Amino acid sequence: MVSRSSILWAALGTGMALAGVALAQEIVIGEDPAVVTRAPTPPKPLDIPKEAEAKLTALTPDQRAYLKSGESRRVVKPEVMFKRFESLSPKEVANYVSALMALKEQIDFKPGRDKDRIALDTSSPLFNAWTLPRPATLNPKREAGPISLQRYVGGMGMGIPTFANAPVALTPEDLIAGKVEVAIVGAPLDMGSGWRDAKNGPLALRTAMGAQAPYGNDMYSMINPGTALRIADYGDIAVDNLSTERSVQHVREAVRTIAKTGAIPIVVGGDHSLEYPDLAAMADVHGKGKVGVVHFDSHYDAGSDRVHLIDHGQPVYRVIHEGHVLGKNYVQVGLRARGPDIDTFKWMREQGMNYHTMVEVEKIGWDKVMEAAVKEAKRNTDKLWISFDIDVLDPAFMPGTGTPVPGGLTMREAQPIMRRLCAENNIVGIDLVEVAPYLDSSYKTAHNSAFLLNACLAGIAMHKKGLTKPHWLSPLSASSKAPLGKEYP
Amino acid sequence: MRKLPLALSALALLAGSPALADDVAAKIGALSPAAQAFVQDEARLALFHLTPAKLADAFRGRTPEEVAAYVASLMQVAQDAAFHPGRDASAIALNPGASGFNASTVLKPAMFDEFRRDPGPISLDHYLFQKTGIPTFAHAPVAIRREDLVAGKVEVAFIGVPLDFSSGWRDGKHGPMALRSTDGLVGTDAAAGVDPATVLSLADFGDLSIDYMSVERSVDHVRFMVGQVAGTGAAAFVVGGDHAVMYPDVAAMADTYGKGRFTLIQFDAHAEAEATSEHTLSDSQSLHRLLADGVITGSQVVQVGTRGPETSSADTARLARSGVTMLGMERIEKDGWDSVAARVIAAAKAGPGAIFVSFDMSVLDPAYAAGAGRPVQEGLTMREAVPLIRSVCASGKVIGFELLDSAPILDPTYRSAQAGNAILHACLAGMAQRKVAEKKG
Repeated sequence: MVSRSSILWAALGTGMALAGVALAQEIVIGEDPAVVTRAPTPPKPLDIPKEAEAKLTALTPDQRAYLKSGESRRVVKPEVMFKRFESLSPKEVANYVSALMALKEQIDFKPGRDKDRIALDTSSPLFNAWTLPRPATLNPKREAGPISLQRYVGGMGMGIPTFANAPVALTPEDLIAGKVEVAIVGAPLDMGSGWRDAKNGPLALRTAMGAQAPYGNDMYSMINPGTALRIADYGDIAVDNLSTERSVQHVREAVRTIAKTGAIPIVVGGDHSLEYPDLAAMADVHGKGKVGVVHFDSHYDAGSDRVHLIDHGQPVYRVIHEGHVLGKNYVQVGLRARGPDIDTFKWMREQGMNYHTMVEVEKIGWDKVMEAAVKEAKRNTDKLWISFDIDVLDPAFMPGTGTPVPGGLTMREAQPIMRRLCAENNIVGIDLVEVAPYLDSSYKTAHNSAFLLNACLAGIAMHKKGLTKPHWLSPLSASSKAPLGKEYP
Repeated sequence: MRKLPLALSALALLAGSPALADDVAAKIGALSPAAQAFVQDEARLALFHLTPAKLADAFRGRTPEEVAAYVASLMQVAQDAAFHPGRDASAIALNPGASGFNASTVLKPAMFDEFRRDPGPISLDHYLFQKTGIPTFAHAPVAIRREDLVAGKVEVAFIGVPLDFSSGWRDGKHGPMALRSTDGLVGTDAAAGVDPATVLSLADFGDLSIDYMSVERSVDHVRFMVGQVAGTGAAAFVVGGDHAVMYPDVAAMADTYGKGRFTLIQFDAHAEAEATSEHTLSDSQSLHRLLADGVITGSQVVQVGTRGPETSSADTARLARSGVTMLGMERIEKDGWDSVAARVIAAAKAGPGAIFVSFDMSVLDPAYAAGAGRPVQEGLTMREAVPLIRSVCASGKVIGFELLDSAPILDPTYRSAQAGNAILHACLAGMAQRKVAEKKG
């Protein structure tokens, strides 16, 4: 129990220490609250047309400076404003500008008037109840190790759905005793999406048919990942679905705990906010800047300058900003959603990020893009995390997701790159996020998501066997005529 | 069968009876006084889904040392669950450096519009009789600013509040969109013999700005805006959004009409009376917070149709003590619908005269409203709900009506959204009926 307190303290400690006396007990996302955002792009200064000058004679120097700053663009287009000026007297123009300045005062954060934090109710007797572990003393005694939910020697299992039909591990001791190589864990966090229901992602993946790992060979590698790897279902990580900020602290702690046992965590979301605590946990375990990332997504997710310090559109920014992953070790694949502007792309280049948009796929074709992304993933680090937002696929394959964007990857593009990345790299972890089953009345989204994870499990099994050559495919299944290599003596 | 006497003896023991000569009694006797007190606190044990009988069973298979460790671990959990200053964070930091910190809730004055217009509701129709296809609540004209409501002498203003956080399922945020896009909120009410759109002046006030990352940050603006609408004299017809919205809505009514000046009739499967959350607001605690903050008193509140496993006995007892009239499904099962409906009308008439109705879609059976964020079986039928809503809204001055937790994605058919519109229409019909009757004098 003491350790529980100390873990929480450690997770919150940095934020607390730096947040100053008055805010000593805030949840602060980020390790350096002194520089919480990338500097916002200043407004473009306004060119005042000569014809307008006659109307500006009543402006004070402050009002004139405000007008020239271009701040007014947030409220009214310049051409609309200057057209309006034509029908106003200089005095009225001064009033107009003064009203704009008053509006700016309302919009900007003002200490004392605006709250810079969300207070919690500390009188709650269950304040921490959501993250408290169940004491082992309450359970029947058992040896540490994954708990099998199979009753029969053969057959299709007992009906209790687990990820990959794997046995259940409840504690790090279970993972260690079971020499678990891959621990699949749910994190049903669901807040920022356009549509909701990512909280049911883990449930959907557990109950998805067709991709249960133990039930056969992956034909591309002729390896059965369910028997080649020791896999466990680590259950779900507790989240607070009223606060992403609170949730990510605990997710970081839980993912760190899994990774420290030596198991590869596969985090099933939940929304893409999870990429931040996942990679912060990787930095905790492997060191800052030691892990590279391939980020599959239709969105760049490097937003900043928002009122909330973390949401499902800001994890990449937060990860890079805090130095958990270096920009040059970020590879983004499949971007196409509206949003990022010219300054954003410039920022991504300044960070040395490698982005592969669907624009590039349209221009040079998927095969070349895949080759480039796989090469970049290997270039700087020997540890790789894959952050897989299922909306990188076209909604034809993944309708059940919070922010779908047409024009995405196909399964025949996504499956090979997932298998290759997992086979050709030392994978330290994966997240698969934004599965929102209620948005898909069919089985498709969960089914495809499960197969993508399965492709990666096959890849991890290939890596373990030493089948790490670029784009290795089994000669046995690839052709009935091709000579068999030394893998099939 | 063998276990029964043992469990009973343990119960007797834990209730303070003389120690019994069995191994469980001896084990409990060996515990520290604090631990003994802990295992006798049944309310606390219930947190762990334990009863004295289950505890006795657990102790039986354990050595005295193991029993001590077992109880110690429970006590540690109870202690760890509470807030610890210095260890736990009491607030969530935001980013005051964000440019446009308040931009999403700052209202744009008319003077910055590109094209000028006189205030008043704006019809989106090309044609006199044919609909144009832009969906609005009740096919009503759109009011963008408070001045539009005033100029149009609007009596009923629909307001979308797409706030959606803590529901069992999600998608309450699409309630306003679904109800605007579904039929059922226009035309003559056959039972009342009136077309509300003819008798009353309706407008769609659009949706309010929500912070999708924080219910706490969302509600101040909702309270302000609903207060703005109520201040014009219009009845605020709020379409949620989840039941957290009841807090700012009712608070806005108290701000506008005065505390204690209206009756709150809450149709809901859920009491919304949770009192132990570390968050200062969510759907399941909205009534508790209204009462605890003194925004309303229990005697102003009538609950209809509550049921299901979410309301604890402690919650129910607290509501009863505060004077809330509770007409749950068990009351309906016992006394019959007509009797309960009559009591609701009587309560509406006995109050100060003004009525605010909070209607959670979950009060209906999922057969009628599968698309509710927190559905519960064994609910009201539409043939029970519609006539009662019509009568309630005809029985006094309706100052506001909220229809909450309509979650369209959970219902691939039109049914839930149409049911929501039928409920809103029933209230409009009741209001229209009353207005017509008043005119006739």
